Amino acid sequence: MKKRLFFLSVMTAVVGMALVCAPVYAVDTVKIGVVGPRTGDAAATGKAFEEGIQLATAYVNAKGGILGKPLEIVFEDTAGAPDKAASGFERLVTRDKVAMVLGESHSSSALAEIEVANRLKVPFVVVEAWADPITAKNYRYVFRAGPSNSGVVKDTIAKWVVHEGFKKAYIVAENTDWGLGIAEISEAALKAAGVSYASLVTERKSQDHYMELAKIKEFDPDVVLAFIYGTGLHYFVAQAGEVGLTPKAVVLDGAGPPSLWPDFWTNVGDYGNLECFVSSMHKQVELTPLATQYREAYVKAFGQAPTDYKSRSIYDAILIAADAVNRAGATDAEKVVDALESTALLVTRGTARFGTEKGGPEYHQWMPPMLVIQWQNKEQVVLYPPEGATGKLKR
Amino acid sequence: MLALSITNGLVIGIIYALTALGVSLVVGIMNVINFAHGEFYILAGYFSYLFAHTMGLDPVVAMVLSIAAVFLIGIVVEYTLIRPTYGDDLYSLILTFILSIVMQSTFLLVFGPFPNKPPNWVKGATNVFGLFLYGNQRLAALIAGAAVIALFFAMLKLTWFGRMIRATSQDREMAELNGINTRRLNMLSFGMGCALAAAAGVILSPVFPVTPSAGVPVALTAFVCVVLGGMGSMWGCVAGGLVLGLVENLGAAFVSTGYKHVFMYLILILVLLIRPSGLFGRSET
Repeated sequence: MKKRLFFLSVMTAVVGMALVCAPVYAVDTVKIGVVGPRTGDAAATGKAFEEGIQLATAYVNAKGGILGKPLEIVFEDTAGAPDKAASGFERLVTRDKVAMVLGESHSSSALAEIEVANRLKVPFVVVEAWADPITAKNYRYVFRAGPSNSGVVKDTIAKWVVHEGFKKAYIVAENTDWGLGIAEISEAALKAAGVSYASLVTERKSQDHYMELAKIKEFDPDVVLAFIYGTGLHYFVAQAGEVGLTPKAVVLDGAGPPSLWPDFWTNVGDYGNLECFVSSMHKQVELTPLATQYREAYVKAFGQAPTDYKSRSIYDAILIAADAVNRAGATDAEKVVDALESTALLVTRGTARFGTEKGGPEYHQWMPPMLVIQWQNKEQVVLYPPEGATGKLKR
Repeated sequence: MLALSITNGLVIGIIYALTALGVSLVVGIMNVINFAHGEFYILAGYFSYLFAHTMGLDPVVAMVLSIAAVFLIGIVVEYTLIRPTYGDDLYSLILTFILSIVMQSTFLLVFGPFPNKPPNWVKGATNVFGLFLYGNQRLAALIAGAAVIALFFAMLKLTWFGRMIRATSQDREMAELNGINTRRLNMLSFGMGCALAAAAGVILSPVFPVTPSAGVPVALTAFVCVVLGGMGSMWGCVAGGLVLGLVENLGAAFVSTGYKHVFMYLILILVLLIRPSGLFGRSET
């Protein structure tokens, strides 16, 4: 009996050791890189990207993966700094051997990354970096499946300003590639529309906007186009209320997500009421069945409805990438670029199609439709476009 | 515009001064440059948010508890991390730099990337002399900041502990010969330096909510105040803070809002060109 017990123990130990020490065979996957800020001032975007990645990976893998292999996303933190962004991008290509790269939400970082993409000849689909030069440089390997400054201003913001009958507008822009770029395009659009305007630049990291607000108040505008990203937007909205600029003037958050962050109301208090913002997501304006499917999957995974639309933007980009590689039949960069150029894929924001005519920012650009939404008693009311409106502007 | 920029300059300047006093105290007593100073400011903001929001404590109680907690953490940091580096300024510099990064990462992990704001003590805005509307919370911050600075100077001038601080910052060896336990004083001074950052943090976080990386500019401005006012001079810190606050706001009002922080460095360069030891600093010779 003792011998048998001893034998059994030894066998169990041997089998156990064999299992533990067995060579681990890595699962063969198709790797796609994502770049975005997981730390720094815009770390909230990194969180939104992580959520979108989780849902998109599950979706793609449930549909058979890419080229019959599971999709694996490698997420590189850029901290919102162009130098880190460029080196992070290069690491994804050289160390992780990704087939292509997606993401980014800082224009300055994206402008550094596209140079690396172009040099290393790696397809790069920008998601939420809006500066026009990103696609206007007409690099073969660079695409954008998301808003561009000129697209947002011409298709949405300027038309909304005219639609609401605003006569005087004030443009406040942070001193970044995105802020300065979108301010310049807005000035031209307002001028063309015959709207009187003035503008000023504020520092990206500025917390105190009292001086800016005093100048704006002197101009007495109907609408303030605030191109300020991150917590700075919260400061701006709260302080605009304190100095009495709002509610007489309407503030439009020209980026969107900061008005949807969980602590928006804690930070701005009642001054957040009647604030307007740009967004590509609203539960009553879902353009495709996939948008509804996405919202349901999000609620299931995270226990609440999605707020930051950037989670859905990266979701779409991953689906576009998976579709392109599958159609290319290989991860070869040239074939993937060709496949991306012929993309016609229904995603959550409509049918993704990239422009192929060279010469301007429309090259390799897919501009999804954007909405102007207003907070009315903590409810999101879509104001623009009229065909998607769920209510009217309140002042 | 002029009246508003002066008022706002004073409010921002007082907070700058309060933050800089902590840096100056630690530099003066211990000759340690605490790179994590801004993170203690942020930590206090988070504590204040936690105590007031999560635990439902009165905002004033939450503030006092937050300052006390940061003071204790400061003491622990001095005892465990800074003390072994005495005698080598570079080690403490590197160590506090690493501490700053670790604290930022911890904030991100624990509190997430979104801004956190403790409740306002007062709401609304006041029409100041019929000239402009000014946030009541900012006015309250001005009063609270000035009160903390006054208390700190009273402690320095009127108490035995303050006398020990002054004596040690003037001549460490002589202070030791007169029986002052400088090791214990180091510990308390570091804790107090952190508590001053914490005081600024709890006063200002209802106006400017805290985020994991918001401590970096806070520390940078505090260092500029200290250098501008003169290393080791407490009054210099106050003057430096007020000068910076006023220059920033007047510059934004009458030159450009896009270069607010550039004015800060311009004035620093100008002052150092004329008075290399700062506004109130003593020259080496």
